[in-house]
Amino acid sequence: MPEGILCNKTPIKTDEQLKLVLSDSRGTKYYAEMLELEVDSDALWALIQKTMKSRTKTWFEICAHCGLCANSCFLYQVNGRIPQQVPSYKIQSTLGEIVKKKGKVTNEFMRHCMDVAWSQCTCCNRCGMYCPHGIDMGVMFGYLRGLLYSQGFVPWELKIGSGMHRVYRAQMDVTTEDWVETCEWMAEETEEEWPGLEIPVDKQNADIMYTCNAREPKHYPEDVAEAAILFHVAGENWTVPSEGWEQTSLSMFAGDWECCKDNVQNVYDAIERLNPKRATGTECGHAHRATVIEGPYWTGRPDGLPPVPYIHYVEWLAEALRTGKLKIDPAKRIKEPVTLQDSCNYVRNQGLKDVTREIISYIVEPGYFVEMSPTKEHNYCCGGGGGFNGIGMYREQRNVALRTKMDQILDTGCKLVIAPCHNCWDAIRDLEEEYEIGIRWSFLKPLIIGMLDVPEHMLPKDEE
Amino acid sequence: MFKKIILATTGSPASFGAARVAFDMAKRYGSEVTIFHVLGVPTKAFSHVVNDVRTGEEVEVDADYLAWVEEELKTTYAKQFAGAENAKIVLATGMPPREILREARSQDADLIVMGASSGDSAKYQRGYPGSTLQKVAKAARCPVLTVHRESASYWGGFSNILFGTDFSKQATSAFKFALNTARELDCDLTIFHALDISGKVLDQDQIEEQLIVARKRIRATYVPQMGDFKNFDIEVWEGAPYVEIVKLAREKQVDLIVMAHHAHELDAEKAKIGSTVEQVIVRANCPVVSVSKPDKV
Amino acid sequence: MYDFLTGPMLWLTFAVSFGGLLVRIVLYIKGLNQQLDRVAYRAHMGYGLKGAFNSIISFLNPVGARLWRIRPGFALMFFVFHIGIVITPIFLIAHNVMLQENLGFSLPALPTCVADILTWAAVVAGLLLTLRRVAFPEVRILTTGYDYLMMVITLAPFVTGLLARYGVGDYQFWLTAHIITGEIWLLSLPFTKLSHVVLFFMSRAQLGMDYGIKRGGMKGSSMSW
Repeated sequence: MPEGILCNKTPIKTDEQLKLVLSDSRGTKYYAEMLELEVDSDALWALIQKTMKSRTKTWFEICAHCGLCANSCFLYQVNGRIPQQVPSYKIQSTLGEIVKKKGKVTNEFMRHCMDVAWSQCTCCNRCGMYCPHGIDMGVMFGYLRGLLYSQGFVPWELKIGSGMHRVYRAQMDVTTEDWVETCEWMAEETEEEWPGLEIPVDKQNADIMYTCNAREPKHYPEDVAEAAILFHVAGENWTVPSEGWEQTSLSMFAGDWECCKDNVQNVYDAIERLNPKRATGTECGHAHRATVIEGPYWTGRPDGLPPVPYIHYVEWLAEALRTGKLKIDPAKRIKEPVTLQDSCNYVRNQGLKDVTREIISYIVEPGYFVEMSPTKEHNYCCGGGGGFNGIGMYREQRNVALRTKMDQILDTGCKLVIAPCHNCWDAIRDLEEEYEIGIRWSFLKPLIIGMLDVPEHMLPKDEE
Repeated sequence: MFKKIILATTGSPASFGAARVAFDMAKRYGSEVTIFHVLGVPTKAFSHVVNDVRTGEEVEVDADYLAWVEEELKTTYAKQFAGAENAKIVLATGMPPREILREARSQDADLIVMGASSGDSAKYQRGYPGSTLQKVAKAARCPVLTVHRESASYWGGFSNILFGTDFSKQATSAFKFALNTARELDCDLTIFHALDISGKVLDQDQIEEQLIVARKRIRATYVPQMGDFKNFDIEVWEGAPYVEIVKLAREKQVDLIVMAHHAHELDAEKAKIGSTVEQVIVRANCPVVSVSKPDKV
Repeated sequence: MYDFLTGPMLWLTFAVSFGGLLVRIVLYIKGLNQQLDRVAYRAHMGYGLKGAFNSIISFLNPVGARLWRIRPGFALMFFVFHIGIVITPIFLIAHNVMLQENLGFSLPALPTCVADILTWAAVVAGLLLTLRRVAFPEVRILTTGYDYLMMVITLAPFVTGLLARYGVGDYQFWLTAHIITGEIWLLSLPFTKLSHVVLFFMSRAQLGMDYGIKRGGMKGSSMSW
């Protein structure tokens, strides 16, 4: 059986197929089928020849085998420093071998590559900063994931994840109607406390367009309400698109580049349609990476930039606080030791290290902010990046990976962790669940709402 | 007025009282009951793995599991199911308060019935402050009926309603609900205000003066709204409001307490459901309805 | 023999070596691809070059990159080794005498004792770097025979040069061996991992442009390597 019914080289394109794969509990049958999945060596080699150019080739060629990348990798450190976890080894023994053998590799080898690509690398790109030759193994693993996906060797959850993105253009089964309805619901629920609050859908020529993560309408619509409150208080002329509102990309974790392109194009189409001056997204790392940093390249934009300036939520927040659109009541600032989780996807990958600290300077009483060590672009992955959080088969490895962040947090002595990234937030929640170190964690939105100095006219009038 | 009732339940013993009241209402008033159960809080990816709300354990939501939970609920409420024709089970995953609100909204429910303490999985509450009840009571469009003590559930129908007022905006809605219920079900209605003197030392003349003011205010505010409805009386006295409400309810053998729920405090943790209601819920020997919105009264 | 090795053979060596390296540079740049690399090289050349420069300089400076600062021991070996093998051959007085005789110009020469020290230090550092490959499991797992061969090719001209310099045994023999190993070394540059003599700059510049353009440079955030 070269191609399975559930596990095969064809992406999930219909709701029917999606439900079928989803109904396979824990992917038992899916992984069983994978054992029989045939490797199409010719297609694999052809794809490599077409897409592996001088950058990656050179990376393989000049790697000095010096092992300096070892210590840069938190998975190497946290897994007892076994040599099999050295980034350079991980990529050379997988992608390197596939290239050497011109794609003529076995099913077993491909499954091994899948394990390495999704459970031994979170694509945090930290090793790239510690290689004298500037070899970014996170980038190479992203590339390897694409190859593996094209051959059907991808963890069950991510096959479904990218299927969701293909069928619903969102990481969960949230339709346009669901989304618009959620916006109405949240506006209704929130306007009592915030008179005049609106969630304007599909408003033309707004100053800023907001996109989010499908998990918000699906499970945590408060997050949409919180965004609305902050835009409302800041007096922002904003809107959300009815189509193209989903910013995340599990397809990026899966290596389904075709789907990545489709989804990002959908967001860009919303921008073209509504013509906002700028766009911003929710407190999510990979969503920003997908839609703002990598997206322009997937969609083939020659300047490598989205159609309008597309800022991360932390940038919008810092700006609103800086310009006084949002005011913090100094009495309500955080007065306990607090630390900040720098998300790889917009700190190491877009340098947004200072804006978050600027926000901290407004909301934390001086003297209470404690940096993690290492920090900023040198910070470690939360332990759940790159899809690691979501893959059942690698749960155990993921839980081990969380220990790095746990130690970093314990070293700060803080009980409160600000995590302006969905993935980091989840990882830290799971960390607390797994290791119970007694910490709290939060996005920025609820913290800021709790300490706003709200102008009198915005408060609800008491009709007593 | 009780056409659609959502019974939000965990299926645990803590919810038996709420279930009894809901099913009893269904039989008495011909309501449709939806037994709404939130399986758990999604832990990863697309919600196929959840932390079970009762055990806190991670479970995979697949067809087998869903069937099992449904069977469990049917067994748990077997007796009640027997007489209720319009009952159905709806299962969902997500944060319990959010999903209860979502279901109420999509059904345009008339009443949400819930047990006060349903064993919230503490872990998952930490990221999201406030209890399920607080959140539902705060945001629900329809009244929320709570049965905390098992003993509060043995009345069988409503005939004697106590409306406790603090004259807030929300109390207007709560009053409408109390009045409409009293009219529809032909109940006695007691309108009560407790002058809050807890923790204060006041001059007795001053207290008495304020009691007169409150009584006048009730007459001015509520009596004109009642039209031809005459089965009411008015009580005003001083004390710690929640104690007085519970006392009066016991004395008058009240079988339904109606109060406003309001929280101006934005931080859900500090907003203790206007702590009076919460205290009444915990102590009362009858169901307590809290009303915060004017939509479904 | 000597005349051939220092005459036509030397010219051929230089031509192949330097020509080859030039070809490597051109091929590298031609093989860059905006869409595959996901870096808009052309559209934001200014930011890119700034990032490239920052990236290269940080790693040429022994205290520039965080990597060097947290690994002082390795950094010391690394820089001593590379400075020794790059500086000495170019500025050695004996090489410059040849240059003067053949082309009529020469570069400033290093004092002999400095050249000696640099050479010795490079050889020792090279041996230590090799020792690392055996001693540390995280390096051992990466090491192949090819890595040792590269080290042999690189150190051979220095070892033979030292033997000739101190007149151990037959001077002529060691001198010839020195010239041959030196030419082998130079000839290897474009065809082996030693191509990193130019590709280091290319690769560093590429990642630097990535950071300078896409990963923060255009946000005015300079990467602290």
